Amino acid sequence: MISFEDFSFCYMGSEEKALSNLSLQIEKGEFVGIIGNSGAGKSTFTYALSGIVPHHFQGDFYGMVKVNGLDTVNVAPEKLAEFVGEVFQDIDSQMVASVVEDEILFGLENFGFSKEEIKKRLEQSLEMLGISDLRYRQISSLSGGQKQKVAIASILALEPEIIVLDEPTGELDPESTVMIFEILKRLNKEFGKTVIIVEQKIMMLCEYAERLLVLEQGKLVYDGKSKDIVEHVELFEELGINVPRVVKLGLRLKEEGLYQGKIPTNVKEAEEMLKEVLAC
Amino acid sequence: MNLLQYVPGDSFLHKLNPVTKLFAAFLYGVACIVTQSVWVEIVLIMLMLAISTLAGLQKRALHLAKNLFILGLFMFVLQLLFVRTGEPLLVYNNFCFFTTGGLSSALLLSFRIIGTMLPLMLLFAITQMNDLCSALVKCLHVPYKYAFIVTTAFRFVPLFTTEFHDIEDAQKARGVEYDTKNFFKKMSLIAPLFVPLLISSLKKVDSGAVSAELRGFHLRTVKSGYKEYPFGLQDGICAVCILCLIAGAAVL
Repeated sequence: MISFEDFSFCYMGSEEKALSNLSLQIEKGEFVGIIGNSGAGKSTFTYALSGIVPHHFQGDFYGMVKVNGLDTVNVAPEKLAEFVGEVFQDIDSQMVASVVEDEILFGLENFGFSKEEIKKRLEQSLEMLGISDLRYRQISSLSGGQKQKVAIASILALEPEIIVLDEPTGELDPESTVMIFEILKRLNKEFGKTVIIVEQKIMMLCEYAERLLVLEQGKLVYDGKSKDIVEHVELFEELGINVPRVVKLGLRLKEEGLYQGKIPTNVKEAEEMLKEVLAC
Repeated sequence: MNLLQYVPGDSFLHKLNPVTKLFAAFLYGVACIVTQSVWVEIVLIMLMLAISTLAGLQKRALHLAKNLFILGLFMFVLQLLFVRTGEPLLVYNNFCFFTTGGLSSALLLSFRIIGTMLPLMLLFAITQMNDLCSALVKCLHVPYKYAFIVTTAFRFVPLFTTEFHDIEDAQKARGVEYDTKNFFKKMSLIAPLFVPLLISSLKKVDSGAVSAELRGFHLRTVKSGYKEYPFGLQDGICAVCILCLIAGAAVL
């Protein structure tokens, strides 16, 4: 569904490549998490998916990026937008309307859905994000977290096949963060949507994403199952990425000879592990 | 108080079609321009304040009138000193300070400024910019691109203000004395802020454009709008009233 073939990109005026020699495939229905330090090329990766690179941000583009069989260089971003929905990192600047309802309506109106369909999708997306009470509020009066939910709702309302989110929970409280991930999980499992999420909360990625990509200075340094992070703890620590505390706890217990089972990667598995350890 | 911000409400003014509101505000201004009587200007201003009060916007209207009064006062002084027609009114040591023509012209112009700008400014208090944009596209078939540019420009005004204050606060935290009473010193301190403001504003505009593009901005057609803006009886009544007002203002 998505393929990067030896893709490199260097922004105009920059001497270093933002992404370099990236080759990977993402199949339909995958839930992919991307993590990496600042300047690792995570946002450039998402821009390449939606065609912003190279259509909006110009520079030297090498290799090929294909989405749904379409070469992103030859297809306009609005064409790609029919199946790729992207939520940016900077929430404020991606708002195009003054009122929450108008913000969600913007994309729906542009894509020419029928009035009944628009009404249904508008209400569904507001309800899904738990922001129905904000429908007629001025966006300028919302908190950072509320704005983030509005931005996500405006993309989810379009029901794109591929949902790309660049740090969508940066301004959210822990409860809302879990809610967003639960929504994405549901969309992924029940509706087969492909979810690609850039996130710094590795615990959430380990729990929800099946596949994890780690970028470091424009290079892909890890591409594997998020559950397999246990076998690459050293690599992650070398990169300055904290592995989930439950993984550390499991490894420690194993080291001490108190536990011999599978190392947990989420809270539920950790709970099972602790029950087992304490029962002994 | 943000003078461009929409004030939610359920008044008869709020319920008018956005296109009617726009033209009514414009034509009210025309009525203020065509009249040559200071008294009619005063009546028109009072009438606008009364209409605003009925719509629950008295606070905003008075605030606007106060701000426009300062502008009007400035124009009054200029007109009074520079228009030299009519009989001399104040003469000192053979120097004529102002004349009867200058005084009447100054009064007329300053009230005219308040009268023409007040309805246009109040338009923003009773109309959502998105509604105005959509109604112009739906009813008058204005190309969406242009309507969007206008609404975006208005939407960015408070954003830029916030951005400016953020930069100012950051500089204050570093010890820059913006609260100095010396106007020229203050200006010289503020001037360098325009560069970071311009850069961050341009970035915001750029991101907004990308976001709009990725949500099918270029695919929009006249039929795309979800909301409908039909003209009703109240729009007809408003149109008749405003035309009568212009006729009355022209005759008087």
